[in-house]
Parts: sequence; C-alpha cells; structure tokens
Amino acid sequence: MLTRISGGHVIDPANQRDGRGDVWIRDDRIIDSPNEEADVTFDAAGKIVMAGAIDVHSHIAGWNVDTARLLLPEYQSAAAPRPSERKGWSALETGHLYATMGFTTVVEPAVAPHYALHAHLELADTPIIDKATLAVLGNDDYLLRLLHDNESEAAFEDYVAWILEMSRSLGIKVVNAGGVAAFKDNVRAFSFDDVVPAFGLSSRRIVKALQRAVSSLGVPHPLHVHCNNLGLAGNFETALTTIAAAEELPLHLAHLQFYGYGKEGDRKFSSAAAQLAEAVNRTANVTVDVGQVMFGPTVTISLDVLRQFNARTQARPKKWLILDGDTNGVGIVPYNYRRSDFYNAVQWAVGLELFLLINDPWRVFFTTDHPNGAPFTSYPEIFALLMSRDLRANWMSELPAEAMAVTTLPSITREYSLHEIAVMTRAAPAKLLGLTDRGHLGPGAVADIAVYDDLTDRVRMFRAAALVFKDGDLVVRDGHVTRYRWGRALAVAPARDRAIDRRMKDYYAERYGLSDEFVKVPVYALSRPEPFVFVPCR
Amino acid sequence: MERAWISGKPTPLDAAIAEAAKLIGASTRILIAGLGTDIAGARAAISLAQRTGATIDHMNSESVLRNLDVMRSSGVMMTTATECHVRADTLLLAGPLRGTARDQLLQNVIGSEQAKNRDRRRIIWLCPGRDLLTFADTVGATPIGRKQEDLPGLLATLRADVAGRPAGKSCVSLKRLRQVSAFLKQSRFGTAVWSSAELDPVVIEMLCGLVGDLNATTRFSGLPLAPEDNAIGVLHVCSWMTGLPMRTSFARGVSQHDPWLFDSSRLVTSGEVDCVVWISAYRSEPPPWRRPPPMIALTAPGTAFVTPAHVHITVGCPGIDHFGVHHFAATGTLAAFAATQPSETISVAEAITRIAAATPEPGGRSC
Repeated sequence: MLTRISGGHVIDPANQRDGRGDVWIRDDRIIDSPNEEADVTFDAAGKIVMAGAIDVHSHIAGWNVDTARLLLPEYQSAAAPRPSERKGWSALETGHLYATMGFTTVVEPAVAPHYALHAHLELADTPIIDKATLAVLGNDDYLLRLLHDNESEAAFEDYVAWILEMSRSLGIKVVNAGGVAAFKDNVRAFSFDDVVPAFGLSSRRIVKALQRAVSSLGVPHPLHVHCNNLGLAGNFETALTTIAAAEELPLHLAHLQFYGYGKEGDRKFSSAAAQLAEAVNRTANVTVDVGQVMFGPTVTISLDVLRQFNARTQARPKKWLILDGDTNGVGIVPYNYRRSDFYNAVQWAVGLELFLLINDPWRVFFTTDHPNGAPFTSYPEIFALLMSRDLRANWMSELPAEAMAVTTLPSITREYSLHEIAVMTRAAPAKLLGLTDRGHLGPGAVADIAVYDDLTDRVRMFRAAALVFKDGDLVVRDGHVTRYRWGRALAVAPARDRAIDRRMKDYYAERYGLSDEFVKVPVYALSRPEPFVFVPCR
Repeated sequence: MERAWISGKPTPLDAAIAEAAKLIGASTRILIAGLGTDIAGARAAISLAQRTGATIDHMNSESVLRNLDVMRSSGVMMTTATECHVRADTLLLAGPLRGTARDQLLQNVIGSEQAKNRDRRRIIWLCPGRDLLTFADTVGATPIGRKQEDLPGLLATLRADVAGRPAGKSCVSLKRLRQVSAFLKQSRFGTAVWSSAELDPVVIEMLCGLVGDLNATTRFSGLPLAPEDNAIGVLHVCSWMTGLPMRTSFARGVSQHDPWLFDSSRLVTSGEVDCVVWISAYRSEPPPWRRPPPMIALTAPGTAFVTPAHVHITVGCPGIDHFGVHHFAATGTLAAFAATQPSETISVAEAITRIAAATPEPGGRSC
C-alpha cells in the first residue's frame, strides 16, 4: 500500500526539512518519493506535518496508576453529575486521547521491577500508541547490597542488565536514590549526600553507580533521575548538586520544575528556574524534562515514597495511599493545583520559565509528569502558552501578583516556533531514547505521522490532529479515532554474564523463600503477537 | 470425560458455545459474576460485558470492597507480604484469620524458616476469636482480648492511647493497653495484618488509622491478606479496563460503579437480570442462588449446582491446565504461572472469546 500525504508544511528537524512538500508511506514505513502513483493521497495543503510525538515521562499504567483510579472513583466521568461521552479513565482512553493529539510513543517511567508484568499487561491493553517502561532501581535491597559489599562494576552491570531484560524495560530510572530505602528505617528527610542507615551509602554513590552502569552497558537512554527533596523550598540546590555530579557522562533529570524552588520573598518560596536553566544550559551532557503544572484537580503518583508520605497532609480530597514496597513502593496523593494559590502559581511559572530559559530544545523535554503536574490532556494548552507571550500575559493577569513577582516569567519574551515544538516533542525524544526509527520523517522511519490544521488557536490545533498515522495505518481523522490497533513495547536487552541468573535465583530463594520466576515478563503472558520490539544497545 | 452440558445433558463443546451465544444474544440484562479467573479470563469477560451492556461482579467483591471503602475515604499505609517477611519486627494481627487468610499468614508472613529465625519478631493478636486462641499460641502470638466483638472497642481505645488521648474502657485492663501501645511505638517496622473477610470497614478504618498514627514517631504499615479466586487481580483488570472496581455496569454505555446496585446477589434475587454468566476456574464453586435466571457456567470440574446451569462448560485451572497470570499473594503482584499439568481443557478466556465471537452484534436492538 502506497500512501502520499501531499502538499503539507513538513516540519522534520532531524532531516532539516521545514517547508512545503510530500511525505510518502509504503506499508508501515516512510519512503523517499517514488516514481509511482499513490494508492491513497491525503491533501495536506495548509496543514502542518510532523512525525508522531513521543512522550518521555508519563505515568500511564501499572499497579500505581490502577490503584490511583481505585482511590479516586470521583474522577471518573460516570461519577460526574451528567455522565459524558467519555468512557472514563482507562487504558483504552489513554491510547485514544494520546493518539488524537498526535502522540504515537509514550514512556511509562516508574515501574518497580516486581510490578513489570502488571505494567506490561496494562500497556498491552493501551491501544494505538507504542510504549516503553523504565525500571526503577536504587532503593532495592540487592543493588544496595552490591554497593555496600563493594562488588565489582561487572557484577553491578550484570544485575542492571538482568533487571532490564526481566522487566522488558527501555531504561533505568532512580527515584530519590536511597531515600525510599532510608524511609523504611524511619528517616524523614534525605539529601544527595545523606546516607542510607542500613547500608552506609549516599544517594550520590547510588546515582553515580547507576549512571556508570547504564552508560557502560550501552543503554541508549541515560540514567533517568528523580532527585531528592522534590517539592521543597530551596531544593534547586539539590538539583544543582545533582547536575554537577553528572560529570562527563549523560544524565536525564525528570520533572525539573519540581526542583525549581528557592527560599526568597515573604513566603520563603520563590522561583529558582533561572539558576537551574543556566546550569542546564552550560552542562551539555544533561537533559531534563519539565513536569509542567497546570491548574485543576489531579492525583500525584510517585515512587518517591518518602516525599509522598510527607505530602499526604496536603491531599485534596483528603485520602491517600502509601505502599512500602519491596523493590521500591509508591505514594498516591490527590492534589488540586489552584490559580488562587501562591505556591501553585509559582510552580506553574517555574515550569514555563524552564521551557523558555533553557536555550536548547534538544535538551528540554515536554512533560507534565502526567498526572503529577497535570493530566497529559493539558498538553495543547501548554503548547499554546509556550508559543504566545500574549497568552502567558493573559494567564498571569489572573494569577496572584505576589507569586509572579518571585519569578522571571513576566520578563520573558521568547515564543516557541513550530519547529522548536517539533524538536522538543519528536526529534529530541527519539534521540534521547535511542529510537532511530521514529521521531522523524526520513526514509526507513516507522510511519508514525501527525498532521495538524495550521490554526491560530494552537490549543484546538494540538487537541485534535487532522490525521494521525501509526505504522502507516490511518488511526485518527479530524480528532476522532477511526481505527484501533495494538501498539508494542520498546525494550533493551544488553548482554550480561549469565552467571547473574543463578545468583538472582539464589538471592530470591534466600531472601524471600521464592522462585525468581515472578519477576519475569514472559512474552506469552501478554496475549498479543510480537508485544516487544528490541532497541539495540550501543 | 465430559466437558460441556446443555440443560444437564452432555454435549459437544461447540454446541455448548453456540447455545451460550444464543442465550446471550437473546438476553438484555446480563450479569457476569463469580469471575474467579486469571487476567486473560477477566479481560475477555469484561470485554464481553462492555459489548453486551452487562454488569460485572466478583464472588469475593465484599472482601475487596471493604478495604477499598477505607482506601477511598481516608489514608492508608500498605506493604507487601515479601517486605513484611523481611522487615517487620512486630506483627499486629487483628481479628480472625481463617481459610485463605490463615494460609497466607502461615506461608507468606510468619511460616517460613527464614522468618522464624530471622530476628526476635514479636506477634500481637488483637481479638483473634475464641476458636483461634490455640492457633494463636501455635504461631507464637500473644492474644490481646479474645472475642471478635471486642475488637472495635479495643482498637478505639488502643488508637486513643497511642495518640496520647484518654483511653476509655475496653476488654483489657488499662495497664495491659498501655503495655501494648508502648510496645507498638517501640517497633522499628511493624505491620498490621488483617483479613477483610472478617472485619467491618469501620474496624479496618480504625486499624489503618492506628497504623497512620504510629508513623508519627516510628514506621508501621498494613498488610490486608488477599481474598481468593484472583479477586485482587480481577480488581486491577477492572481498573485498567473501566477505571472502576467490580460491581460495575455497562448498561448505560458508560462504566457505572455502585457496590449496592450492582451486587450480583441483589441483582439475582430481585430478578433484575435475565441471564447469568458464572465463572469459577480455580475451584468448583457453584453460584449461591437457588433460583437464578438462565445461567451459563464456566467452572472447574466437579461443580455441583443448586440449580442446574442452562449451559455448563468445564474450564481449566490457570497455572495447572494452561498458563495463567494472576495475583500472587506472596508478593502482592501479578505473576505468570506456566501450566504444571497442561491439558486440553478450555480456558475461561478462550471459552468467552468463542462465545463472544458467536454472539450476534446487538445492532438489531432498539434503544
């Protein structure tokens, strides 16, 4: 099947295309313009054509998300006074809503290894989009033992490789390294150089060991770090310390907005986004995603059990769940970001400042840390805010003036171009994750394509794509899903010394009296043909 | 061995599937209940329910919803059996632990040799019930109070004392109460263990409140023991497929959850449904109703029905006859289990998928 998307404004930063032209699809791949008649032609004149967007950090599946749904039945449309057309907050809706916005690949970044099968089962039921998981290490007993016992780097790497393969993950994330483990020993505050009592290890040591192992194994996605001290006034220093600790190797800092807080002003809470942006600008091997806050009710889902425990008193509505899990755990705390709230308004501004003050769109990624800063359905509003200083001024005029006064946002005039949006949401995430087959429109790429009407109302434009193709299939037309199909999960499987398999079997038998089989994600369990695609390691 | 019956008469499987599809096609108020099945079976059942506008319920919903009631109205701290096994220096058992809860306690929490030898773990058992006092002694637990009826009062006074409020009268002396609360506060990592099959939600809420209060100064968490028949696994599938737990109906086009309205026993006894699909793959458990409407039963071999099913198909047991993914109480996660004795017996997922494929689309119906 030969498909031609003709005459659109093609924005493909990875291939230096930014102008009127055609995109050709043969079956599931993009090809160069052939000397043939197309079987189907879509007229894209006056429309914007980009690769399908890629979300590097969105909590969309697994035990944590399921439990958040169960905690909050009132967030379901059926609980609304007048049930709407929406089908509720389900895996189906997740795939549906992402696809209608032109997103075709999404990373679920918080899967504790023992919960990997659960996450993959749910992701397998999330239609249209491809997805990937990040396995969370750094508070797990086995890893802390390895470091405590000064085992070799090779032994450490074998363990990381084993976890990646067992949990079918694309990369490794660390959440408040050591802090979650320390909380089990009743530690209530934990910084980068604090020490986990039971193991005598600092957060720094854990992060550096993981960063080196991920890099040495050739995993394309650098270590994905959720820093210590999330959400606390003055925590920009923790982020600065972590950025400095990256040294020469790549490091990705997740939802940096939540670390952009200083202690200036009457309320001892201010934006420190400018300092953070400056540090990111001068540290070329560090990438960040933002975790933008938008106003409204949401739920925070985080593997940072210590932080969520301390945040439980701010739950709105007043209910929460804290799980002391065996490889990590989770905290689920509903929250309402309010326009009238000084702190929430500062948080909103910090996110936008980071987007606008970090110069290189290849190193700052578009996230709301869904659903922690805002649901992913708020992306179109954020695109619009980034692209228009007038719109930002309108919003700021309705926010507490004293909040805006402790940020630099009112003075920022930068406006994102569509080209920069395409870098940030397509080309750069593909590069960050090591996915050479997507994020661009060059020949050989997977035919994941989003076509938007070029509207002045950017919210409407990005809310409902005119056309979306997934693997060459037309799946969305005029903002409506026209075809359901099942995506796949992207994973890496770096080489390892198989002796680790025996060690892990013995470890699970000794520590838990269990076989290690329960940690594995067998392909047959997912009931889909070819549920995984393997991404090569370097 | 016979595997399928229509009105009690042995029949080929294909005929039973066709008859089941015919019945579903002719019914307008379908209940899919029991739901004792693996993840694949639950997915197939929920898909069928969504397509036919049916209601779904699980035979252990009551136990699941008691814990859920507490969770969705207050704060809860939880841990896993694995973490409790390696970390807890204090176990606070509350109320009776029978059947599967007792098995889990023995196997996953205190039973293994490692756990016994690991440390000087102390076990306190609040009001185990008179019949369990001997068992409490066997597992080395110190009973505080005896009768289950005394548990709410005991928990209330204990919680008050832990929080430094005046404690009223309970079934134990104030001195004893003070000893218990002092002991709990001295734990490094304690775990409260309960079976929601035995406790009222108000009692569970008090227990979770006590756990929360203890975290003011030390670490404490909670371990609700899982009900049988993959109830927790099915709960999670319900969550990701519908956003809501079981006792959810799709009759109005959107998912609607109501623990009373969509209680399968209420629906059957009040005559609000015209077809029941009963699923029990782990055990030969028949539905508890005397006069259900026409029923399609997918059950483990040897199920003795009070009222014969219109269509009855014997299904395999996940993890024995065929591979299965279900909730693994030892770890609190979903885990995959290969077949230990692979057989040709049809799985719930396959049976439902085939019935669904043979069921005419509901297009002919008027609204």
